[in-house]
Amino acid sequence: MARKYELVYVVSPDATDAQVSELHTQVEQIAQRLGGSIEKTDNWGRRKLAYEIGPHKEGTYVLETIDGGGELMKEIDRRLKVSDLIIRHLIVRIDEEQAVIDRTRSRRTDTARRRRVARGLPPDRQPGEGQRSEMEDDDRFDMNEVER
Amino acid sequence: MNGRKGSGARGKAGAQGGQGGKDGQRRPMFRRRKVCKFCADKIDDINYKDTKLLMPFVPERAKILPRRISGTCAMHQRKLRTAIMRARQLALIPYTAE
Repeated sequence: MARKYELVYVVSPDATDAQVSELHTQVEQIAQRLGGSIEKTDNWGRRKLAYEIGPHKEGTYVLETIDGGGELMKEIDRRLKVSDLIIRHLIVRIDEEQAVIDRTRSRRTDTARRRRVARGLPPDRQPGEGQRSEMEDDDRFDMNEVER
Repeated sequence: MNGRKGSGARGKAGAQGGQGGKDGQRRPMFRRRKVCKFCADKIDDINYKDTKLLMPFVPERAKILPRRISGTCAMHQRKLRTAIMRARQLALIPYTAE
């Protein structure tokens, strides 16, 4: 039940700030009504779109992280589809992926620490420790070998 | 023309084309061994919001750069693909460049 979703929506550039924040409160209300909550909101502001969507060349991006169930997201999805101020939106479930990421990360630090201890070093890197310099030249991804 | 053909053309250049014998007399081609960027830099999270990270993998034409060229490992290429497709939906990355 404790699922976490991420919602990004692109609001038409004609919308005023008030309209944008109204959309936010709308989403919040739906969330509350259906037993969810908004964990955090992030307004990316106005950005240029990578391609034109209808008449629009820019849009205001808003990112919301929402706790709640699938029913809630379905409802939000439906509402956003209907709204004509919103030109695009995307809902992604993030809790599972986040868990995987955290797991790999902690596993990596654990093995790193274990190996360091096995070599008789303190588990964490010391500030003055050299060995691996900051990514020697990183032109592994020079793409000039690409044929066209 | 630039001679990436034959079986060795996968780009895993660990071995030099040196003793290539019959077809390789003209180029002692050294291909840099490709490394998966995400493995090397320990990037666990390939996120669709991170356009800076994704952009190098969608060159000019805005097509996804194939693994054989970027050297990305299978797992990360898969994640990269989903991330790019999500970013495209939100118009963060183009579908095509005209």
